[in-house]
Amino acid sequence: MRLLVTLFATVLALHAQVPRLVEVQERRLANGARLLVVERRGLPAFHAELVFRGGQAEEPTALAGATDLLARTLFGATWPEDLQPGKGPGHLDGLLRQEEGILEALRLERLHQHRDAAAPSQLPGLEASLASLQARLRAQCSTRTLEDVYLSQGGSQGAEARADALRAWTELPTAALDLWCRTEAQRLQTLQLSRFSFQRDQLAAELRARGPQGPALLLGAALPGHPYGRDLRDHLPTLEALRWSELRSYARRALSPGRLTIIIVGGQSLDQLAPLVERSLGALPLPQDAEEPLLPEIPSDLGDRRVQATLGTEPRLLVGWRIPPHSHPDHLALRLAAALLDGGGTGRLITHLVRQKGLARQVDLDLDVPGGRLPGLLTVDLRPATGHSLPELEAALHTEILRLQQEPIPPDEWAKALALLGTEYVHTVDDPAALAQALGRAWAEGGDWRLLGLEAQRLSTLAQETVQAATRAWLNPSHRTMARLEPSLTEAHDPLDQELVKVLGALAEARIPDLAQREHLVAEGLRQLRMLSPEERLRTLHLMEAQLPPVKR
Amino acid sequence: MKRLLLACVAPFLVQVPAQAQALPQATARKSAQTFTLPNGLRVVHLENHEHPLVRVLLWVPLEPADVAAGHQGLPDLALRLLSRSPAGELNAETFERSLAAAGIQFEATCTQDHMEWRLLARSRDQDQALGLLAERLARTALDPALLERERLDCWREREGLDLPPRERLARLLHLDPTHRPTAISLGSISFEDILAFRARVLRPQRALLILHGDLGLEQAKRLLLLNLGAWTPGALESRPPAPFTALAVPPDPIRITTGEAGLRLQAWAPCPADVSPESATLLRLLVVAEPVTHGIQHRVEASGLEWTLEAGVASTPAQALAQLQADIETLRQRRFTQADLEQARRVFLAQRPLEALHPEAQLATALANATGTGVALGRLQDLRLEDLQADLARWLQPANLRIGALGPVEALKALDKP
Repeated sequence: MRLLVTLFATVLALHAQVPRLVEVQERRLANGARLLVVERRGLPAFHAELVFRGGQAEEPTALAGATDLLARTLFGATWPEDLQPGKGPGHLDGLLRQEEGILEALRLERLHQHRDAAAPSQLPGLEASLASLQARLRAQCSTRTLEDVYLSQGGSQGAEARADALRAWTELPTAALDLWCRTEAQRLQTLQLSRFSFQRDQLAAELRARGPQGPALLLGAALPGHPYGRDLRDHLPTLEALRWSELRSYARRALSPGRLTIIIVGGQSLDQLAPLVERSLGALPLPQDAEEPLLPEIPSDLGDRRVQATLGTEPRLLVGWRIPPHSHPDHLALRLAAALLDGGGTGRLITHLVRQKGLARQVDLDLDVPGGRLPGLLTVDLRPATGHSLPELEAALHTEILRLQQEPIPPDEWAKALALLGTEYVHTVDDPAALAQALGRAWAEGGDWRLLGLEAQRLSTLAQETVQAATRAWLNPSHRTMARLEPSLTEAHDPLDQELVKVLGALAEARIPDLAQREHLVAEGLRQLRMLSPEERLRTLHLMEAQLPPVKR
Repeated sequence: MKRLLLACVAPFLVQVPAQAQALPQATARKSAQTFTLPNGLRVVHLENHEHPLVRVLLWVPLEPADVAAGHQGLPDLALRLLSRSPAGELNAETFERSLAAAGIQFEATCTQDHMEWRLLARSRDQDQALGLLAERLARTALDPALLERERLDCWREREGLDLPPRERLARLLHLDPTHRPTAISLGSISFEDILAFRARVLRPQRALLILHGDLGLEQAKRLLLLNLGAWTPGALESRPPAPFTALAVPPDPIRITTGEAGLRLQAWAPCPADVSPESATLLRLLVVAEPVTHGIQHRVEASGLEWTLEAGVASTPAQALAQLQADIETLRQRRFTQADLEQARRVFLAQRPLEALHPEAQLATALANATGTGVALGRLQDLRLEDLQADLARWLQPANLRIGALGPVEALKALDKP
């Protein structure tokens, strides 16, 4: 009898802990595309997502930026003219071909002028032709957002280029379901890309304005030569040379039905949706040359790598460990380790490094950077608190990693991390957009959308030893890359730093004749002074100023 | 005996996975119910059993008289102190740990016109979540020892000093310059000011609570009475605070120096308080629909309109700034037609079902309706084109624009050079 009661209690406890799996219905369409449906009876609207496996990682180098451009040009807006197939010269298709020719001629002419500025220039003529052609193009295109097919129906849409997939999502009232199916099929069949040149220029301008970024530096050093380590900013000339027809033919391969999963969360069942989707998206033709690209592999234990750079306006320590892909058995254990380190504002890093020791001002942790289909990174981004240096932070972070690997995990911390991930799952299932995105991500990264629910279930059976073994295997120095970023001296943005550089320079000028030695002394002096609090730095500045002759103050 | 026990247990086992699963989904959502607790706390209850989750939004409006002259930043500082002081028997760290252990999301935020607390918890933890909210609101003993540190952190956060430059610019533009805390205004706030502010503002009669999710009306009433029924305000100061006086407005445009190569200009026009919700809603739709010119991007938010220009090498910074201002002025002068108005109305009505996809949007609508800032269909239909046009002119008038710039020092200096 007691045994039965115990058994009952155990079953109840387990039942309460294991999250319910989301009910997804799946069907394979005739052309190979997958359809996933989550039925929420009574919902008067639906969230639909098209997920194309591949993403930025599968772009050939010669087409760098193609996924970003497709997200911007093909999706994100639905103009009526983009849904019309081309009908000979004078139509949008013909004008876009002409625009491509002029743009290419312009690019070559600019290169020619760059090499030989004295040569006679055809630029004015070409620019005039382009302006006139683009005016004709504009006349054929919608200009107001309310002309957007979905917005006029009350809908919204967006698209995102990710490392492992291109995702495009739409939200519409249920009554517009048929319209959505027809529109998406038409969009993928026509591949008009009418705003190509504008979006390409816009993307290039944004990349140029962004300047070099710390995380991109870390990725490049941690994953050398791998598409995951590519910084699009380094491929600007390639992006600017990319042509409309090249992007269009790339789209035919990259956005083929075999790479597509359609996810719909709404009030309709699979049986209601399948015929609609089969008639439209299921009828898209398969491309002739649907060859899967081969991606390079990087050994995870490349050795401890370190980068030191002058970048940004404040010191920053970026650390990345090469970790296995989403489908690897250790991945879930590493996710739990990440929750222990950074979970819910009470993780170990924030508790120990920020609150207790006061070494860091800010801590951010990310998993699967930039993606999870291939081995990516677990990254920690630390910004030191005033008066603390990057080496101090590095040592403290290393201690936390060793503690996680070697010391038993206190039960309350373990329970907290499990609760965090469990609640995350419930929140994801609750929100149609988050659910569709998570299903798409599990499929694109892990190869199976079921991973989303399976991982939530596996969490309850995960052992502490498994997590510690995974952290020992992956979060070790041979998998690590570290980037120490120090702000530039010459571009010091803090007015106090600018004053310090001036005074240090003046002091050094009187004592050290060698220019290189002088520069080094100023840099080192400023680096050390930055560890002081602003008040102490100000006092030091006044003391140093007092040493200068009055004319130099 | 065993058979009897099994017979009792078997149906229970089937029902265990949450109340949410037992209810048919079509009837899982019900319309809003409102009630008031004996202490004056108004409650809007939105029942939804689709998932075992509960969302809570506690909203407290701020009035101009709540912040005394020269005390800009008082609500932010008070909220920070409240969030970091011991709540009942729980110190700040234990409080955080209790939330984390149950996977409860708890967030307190403050703007110039309101303070709010948001909770998201699994329905099995709803009692604990509301209990923690009650501890925070009613049983927090403000710790004066934290004041100095919080003052500095409050200023850092409000100024966005830890944010990437682009986000910082947007943050500063969204802050009303007359309410923007400064080191001086924060430094002049005493612990007694904070106590008085708390007693005046954190009163159940002033607050509104929205409860959404997997609990029935009776259950909601019991739960709230149990946890927040004992929330009573402290004694009010007999003397009202001195009226709010605006500080000197910082020089326009806001300038942020970065290592980025290009110059970014951004303009923000907050929605004026005297523009009706109906007019603001339609104008947002119409403005976002306007074509982009001169490479200027525009974005529509609930609280205002934003324009961004990445200035190229073709124009000087001053010319780019003039271009941005000119484009906004052109939009201000834009004459919409009756057909535009009708189209915007149609789009707004068509958008309404989409709210069902976003639980947070449902909370926002319930809040807007309860505070009288929601869109009323009757007023929407009655809105005249002339009123809409006049509201647009007021919204985009130069005095209502805040402009900021981000870029290298030279470009920022050149903004003033014609």
